[in-house]
Amino acid sequence: MSGGTTRARLPASGRGFAWLLLSPTLLFLIAFLVVPGILLAGLSLRNVDSMLNLQPGYGLSQYILVFGSTTYANALFTTLWVSLGTALLCVLLAYPAAWLLVNAPTRTVRTVLYVLLVSPLLTSVVIRTFAWIVLLAQNGLINDALRNLGLIDAPLRMLWNMNAVIIAYVQVMLPFAVLPLATSLGEIPQSLSRASMSLGAGRVHTFFHVTLPLTLPGMLTGAIIVFALAAGSYITPLLIGGRLQPLLPITIYQQAVQIANLPLAAALSFSLLLITGIVVFLLGAVLKRWEKRTYG
Amino acid sequence: MSSQPKGAAALGAAPAGIRIDGVVQRFGDHLALAGVDLDIRAGEFFSLLGPSGCGKTTLLNIIAGFLDPSEGSVYVGDRDVTALPPYRRDIGMVFQNYALFPHLDVAGNVAYGLKVRKTPAAQIKKRVAEVLDLVQLPGYASRMPHQLSGGQQQRVAIARALAISPQVLLLDEPLSNLDAKLRKDMQSELRSLQQRIGITTVLVTHDQEEALSLSDRIGILGSGRLQQVGTPLELYRKPANRFVAEFIGQANLIKAQPTSVAGVFEAVDRFENEGQGLLLGTELDITATQPLRFVLRPERIRVVPAPPPEPRMAGRPVIRSPNRTGGTLRELSYSGGSIRLVVDLFGGGQLIAQAEDAQFTELPVVGQPLALTWRIEDVVPLPAEEEVPA
Repeated sequence: MSGGTTRARLPASGRGFAWLLLSPTLLFLIAFLVVPGILLAGLSLRNVDSMLNLQPGYGLSQYILVFGSTTYANALFTTLWVSLGTALLCVLLAYPAAWLLVNAPTRTVRTVLYVLLVSPLLTSVVIRTFAWIVLLAQNGLINDALRNLGLIDAPLRMLWNMNAVIIAYVQVMLPFAVLPLATSLGEIPQSLSRASMSLGAGRVHTFFHVTLPLTLPGMLTGAIIVFALAAGSYITPLLIGGRLQPLLPITIYQQAVQIANLPLAAALSFSLLLITGIVVFLLGAVLKRWEKRTYG
Repeated sequence: MSSQPKGAAALGAAPAGIRIDGVVQRFGDHLALAGVDLDIRAGEFFSLLGPSGCGKTTLLNIIAGFLDPSEGSVYVGDRDVTALPPYRRDIGMVFQNYALFPHLDVAGNVAYGLKVRKTPAAQIKKRVAEVLDLVQLPGYASRMPHQLSGGQQQRVAIARALAISPQVLLLDEPLSNLDAKLRKDMQSELRSLQQRIGITTVLVTHDQEEALSLSDRIGILGSGRLQQVGTPLELYRKPANRFVAEFIGQANLIKAQPTSVAGVFEAVDRFENEGQGLLLGTELDITATQPLRFVLRPERIRVVPAPPPEPRMAGRPVIRSPNRTGGTLRELSYSGGSIRLVVDLFGGGQLIAQAEDAQFTELPVVGQPLALTWRIEDVVPLPAEEEVPA
């Protein structure tokens, strides 16, 4: 994430070789991302009759349906806000963790902390989500504990709402916010905080005026990753929030798998992609602008 | 302190001296500073000079407050600052890599310390303009650090440190990242700036030339101890021990033992060769019986071309006179104004001499016989007690 690096230009022969090295990945992406994408885009422009049969001809009727109906538009913007909120929470919670990683007393401790941080990623999302159900359910661990302590009489309803979804999102996606932030923090030279202190600033002032601004790239990178992951995830909200949550990935899943209205599902997908793309682009633009101003 | 130099008024703080009292710094088993006592006078330009790993940066970090010494105290003026965190010490510091805040423009960097002190905005603006003038960067206020050259960044770093009107200015190898020519310019500028505002300045450097040309006094640090403190002239002409003699400038170090003639010593070790060895005439009125070590600076040796020595005949005594010898040229390096010559002495051993270009119409060639002479006052004895290695 450090800016100000000048990219070395390869000689022409080296560039050819670079393309050769890239080609397997490139072919894979063309076959399994670009081509399906184009097919899906085509599908989203089709119309269906009342029996959901494809009609000949192309048009924007599906998109008009998506943005015209309060249900779909609402789901789209709820998804947007929930994802942004998740990204914000993740960055906030990632800060202490990243700080701990960077300031680990020894290399061994740091390695252990990194392993701890990354280890949840070795389990599948479904399993981690089920773990939250075990914790939050009416007869789950938390309710049991509270009841045994005599703090509550009736079990709390902690599942099947948006808060539970956000909690689960944050837990699942936190490592993706910590890693870029730790990189960003680690790149700040020690002399900067020393300079700040020699000028009379205490640790808190130094943090808010030197450290925090300089980790903006790490925070933005983390936020972009978490936002994109949250906006596209459907297993976690489906299992924890239930199928009634107004989140677009759930709606897409229902349209595609349960109702089999493929053109509408495709149009919903592209609408989500568009909105996500705009947000990621904006966050990226802020990042670029900041790096250009700071490092040239 | 009533007659401050002009410009110090603009700075607004009276310069304070620094006293370092029995400072010891241990890092685990490693003893980085083995008891340092040092008085840096108010308003003086003091350099801490030494090879890397000698503890000079450690000492600077202790003065600045970034390190807590294992033992001892640090005073700024009459204030014991040993227990104070760096942000309560009122010490301006310039770092080796300048440590400018990359996300702030020049004005933001310079104003940083003033904003921390909650100085009113109008006053900050005035002060920023003032110190930018002082370092000759007016009109650069809105540039970002990455848009500045190394020398300009250096000036901003100095302006930033001076803006808070510190009692003391610490410079941590501030010029080592600049190229040779710019470094020379910045050196003289730094010196004149320091003299104008009269601030107590401590420079850490490994560059002896820099220390010699900038400082009022220099402290030579070696193996965690202060080896000698003195003016550049004292250090060069009267080194306190072998370490200082070898570290400051180039030195021919010659170990010699007293002869029956008062003040004349005969070189031993590698200079000794079947009674033909080097004789040193000194100003010492010697009664000592122990061998001493002498310093002979290369530029003090006069080099003239000489006829080859006559073949030595068996049984004939060799006539030797003190402070005069001969040899053949082994190596010559020409660097424009000065010439460095390595001469293999006929009597054994080697001397390094430095001559000026103007001295020769034609440069001597390798293998050519040369006569070497020097004056009696050029042979500088090292104190005998320093024979024990530090």
